[in-house]
Amino acid sequence: MSPDFLNFIETVLNGLMTGVMYSLVALGFVLIFKASGIFNFAQGVMALFAALTLVGLQTGQVPFAHLINAVLGTDVHHWGPGLPTVLAILVTMLVMIALAFLIEKVVLKHLVNQEPIILFMATIGLAYFLEGTGDLMWGADVKALDVGLPSGGSFWWEDVTRNWAPAGSDYFGMYIDTLDVSAAIIAVVLVVALTLFSQYTATGRALRAVADDHQAALSVGISLRSIWVIVWSIAGFVALVAGIMWGAKSGVQFSLSLIALKALPVLILGGFTSIPGAIVGGLIIGVGEKLAEAYVGPLVGGAVENWFAYMVALAFLLFRPQGLYGEKIIERI
Amino acid sequence: MNQHIDPGSLRADDGIEKGGMLLHVDNISLSFGGVKAISDVSFDIKKGEIRAIIGPNGAGKTSMLNVINGFYHPQEGTITFRGEKRRRMKPHAAASQGIARTFQNIALFKGMTTLDNIMTGRMTLMHGNLLTQALWVGPAQREELAHRETVEKIIDFLEIEHIRKTPVGRLPYGLQKRVELGRALAADPALLLLDEPMAGMNLEEKEDMSRFVLDVNQQFGTTVALIEHDMGVVMDLSDRVVVLDYGRKIGDGTPDEVRNNQNVIDAYLGVSHD
Amino acid sequence: MLYRETGDFKSSYAADQQTFPIRSERYLFWGAMVIAFLVVPFFINDYWEKSVLVPLLVWSMAALGLNILTGYCGQVSLGTGGFMAVGAYACYKLMTAFPDLNIFIVVILSGGVTAFVGMLFGLPSLRIKGFYLAVATLAAQFFLVWLFNKVPWFYNYSASGQITAPERTIFGIAVTGASAPPWATYLFCLTLVFLFAWIARNLTRGTLGRSWMAIRDMDIAAEIIGVQPLKAKISAFAVSSFYIGVAGALYFSVWLGAVEPTEAFGINVSFLVLFMVIIGGLGSILGSFLGAAFLTLMPVLLKNVMVGGLGWPTDLAAHFEIMLVGGLIVFFLIVEPHGLAQLWRLAKEKLRLWPFPY
Repeated sequence: MSPDFLNFIETVLNGLMTGVMYSLVALGFVLIFKASGIFNFAQGVMALFAALTLVGLQTGQVPFAHLINAVLGTDVHHWGPGLPTVLAILVTMLVMIALAFLIEKVVLKHLVNQEPIILFMATIGLAYFLEGTGDLMWGADVKALDVGLPSGGSFWWEDVTRNWAPAGSDYFGMYIDTLDVSAAIIAVVLVVALTLFSQYTATGRALRAVADDHQAALSVGISLRSIWVIVWSIAGFVALVAGIMWGAKSGVQFSLSLIALKALPVLILGGFTSIPGAIVGGLIIGVGEKLAEAYVGPLVGGAVENWFAYMVALAFLLFRPQGLYGEKIIERI
Repeated sequence: MNQHIDPGSLRADDGIEKGGMLLHVDNISLSFGGVKAISDVSFDIKKGEIRAIIGPNGAGKTSMLNVINGFYHPQEGTITFRGEKRRRMKPHAAASQGIARTFQNIALFKGMTTLDNIMTGRMTLMHGNLLTQALWVGPAQREELAHRETVEKIIDFLEIEHIRKTPVGRLPYGLQKRVELGRALAADPALLLLDEPMAGMNLEEKEDMSRFVLDVNQQFGTTVALIEHDMGVVMDLSDRVVVLDYGRKIGDGTPDEVRNNQNVIDAYLGVSHD
Repeated sequence: MLYRETGDFKSSYAADQQTFPIRSERYLFWGAMVIAFLVVPFFINDYWEKSVLVPLLVWSMAALGLNILTGYCGQVSLGTGGFMAVGAYACYKLMTAFPDLNIFIVVILSGGVTAFVGMLFGLPSLRIKGFYLAVATLAAQFFLVWLFNKVPWFYNYSASGQITAPERTIFGIAVTGASAPPWATYLFCLTLVFLFAWIARNLTRGTLGRSWMAIRDMDIAAEIIGVQPLKAKISAFAVSSFYIGVAGALYFSVWLGAVEPTEAFGINVSFLVLFMVIIGGLGSILGSFLGAAFLTLMPVLLKNVMVGGLGWPTDLAAHFEIMLVGGLIVFFLIVEPHGLAQLWRLAKEKLRLWPFPY
């Protein structure tokens, strides 16, 4: 194999890894959209919030320290050495469940019969609120997140691939981050777990019933509100996983919530209601974006990644507005 | 209504005598992804008559109206409206040729007032451009006022003066139906399609609505095609009736003929279809 | 005893169409205009100009634009920042390429260029709706900002990648550049905003405005009634982008003087203007102003209270502000989806019937 071709493969592989991350965020969107028809713009910020909370608990930060100090004139910052990682993750999960409960109670309950676009804008407001709250609670500085996953380039893979190039050529093997590999594995496990959950548990069946037809589900005695809390909790869990992965990779910081924006084109490709769609869409966008950056980027000054996904979504929308896996809509009047 | 509408109206005179053919539907077939909604239906509508389209639920009545005003495009067959044959057409183009419409589930613009809703019905008759609209003073205002007078006449006619400035989303069902009729009338239609204008109404409201439909037809000579489930209303109002069942035409004629048609009786009494 | 009118007593349709049908409201409006045009210029200083009044006017202009698209025509756009950038860069290129061209004309032309770009990005709206369209407008946002970053022609190959507004005058008085007096920049913006608010009012009350609202409320029915979706949507995109482009031109040339695209026209600007429209009132001209005023003045007030009054650090106040804005958006969508403008209308209705509400 020629080095050029090997470089191409490396780009595709890296794209796939990034794509897995997009898929993870998109998955949270799809879950909520299926169960409640809400396009949850705050999914990315939920990931940020989860990651911030996790780091705060791990390192033993005092929540709202900054605010407390400003108001009371004290100087608190840490309450101790922090929780062990596993415990911190559990507590963060509890926080995300509490958050789901609050969101249902304070926001969704009051917007039940509103139009989708109003709900969409409400979740934009929610995103801002969560972002401000997260910053107030834990501070806005960039934080390192380490949950003990391996990271850094894989030397084994580099050695294996170096031999694929013809002898004597100037090729040093492929670079693959082991963190990306674990992220991919975790994502696969997560999707399998979610599928099993929705197929084989009573709650899962209720979820699917609600996704299919709200009215019908209500009439057979499924409580819509508790379903919403459950769905938002699951989405919170997915956000936590995404937050851990992204946070471990590039630090916990605001840009994390921008990933949510990248998940939007993923959803357009995959359709808003399809879990396989979210996965495939994420991979397509991830690979496409890396390839565009590698092969088109140098011609136009780089940073093509910033808009590539959106342009793909735009072009795609013009030809297939219902997404890869969506059903064709027949309009009635 | 044709008399007191501005002379620029597109359809003041189409040269068709009363009783002449206004609309021909020829061999229309329509399906959605393999499901046949209409198969090989033909009928006609004469100028000045009230034509009813009846049939059990799912017979393809609303789809038929959607085909006539260009919202659905049939796979086969043609529509001839005022001597012009067409297969595909955009709904707004049909509207500007003079086909107006009300809907089974009210499709008013909920955020707008009664007045604005009915003014929207005159959309195809107004010619303001961006520049005159931006300046307002002058042509735009003159045009607006001229059309406002016609619209006010419709409001008087339908007896809805008191809700002129109310957003229609807040109106009760019966009044919304009336506003919707007003919006269709405002287009000064050559053909008025009414999709279940009396569905969900009580007796008094039905009588009012029947009176309006008859008045429109008799005073202004507007041709009406209506879908209705209340057989009493259909028999009283309409000149001719076409009956659809499972997307096929099973009867066509005067109310009396249709009432005595064996196929129609079977369809309504639920005789099995094989 | 303001608002002494208990019913509809108009004797002609022309009187019925007035912008301010109630006399006292008319007086209130013209009184405010007299103060804005004739009194404020004598008292304005640098702080009020750069921190309060000019920002207020620029954001009002942008909010008017987005309200036409989102509030009247129902098409949600997240590309406002990108379109403001188009206005700003068009303004810069025109200013530097034609130094003798009057700045007023430059600003209007910048709006025209933005209108054209807006129409291009509005084309997808013919096939896609709702948040699908919102995502499509994100493409405009990210692509345009990237373009102005990466193509040196747009910033005249300057080393810093920034664009800086040269001095331009009207009647011999500078309105852009560092030495422009506060009253002049203020009056320049005020005149433009006044003019275009009037035009927005005209456009939204006539047949064009009704075609927008019809598309917003029920697009399928609108088409069957005779509204041409192409014409209605594209004209909404064009007019809206024109306003946003003018806002962008003023934002760059009059208010900031120098901008760098990523900072000044990022996605946050898009959200800010969207929030103004939601808080102020979707589908209301007055609402655009109220929303812009609210979100311009609130941070100033918060900063003065928290940083100036309580002595909190600035970043804390900033986080608080983000939280508060988000909370307010949710609050308004739940409690009063028609925004501040609706609250104003309700207050008026109460006053009309006061003291006998039944």
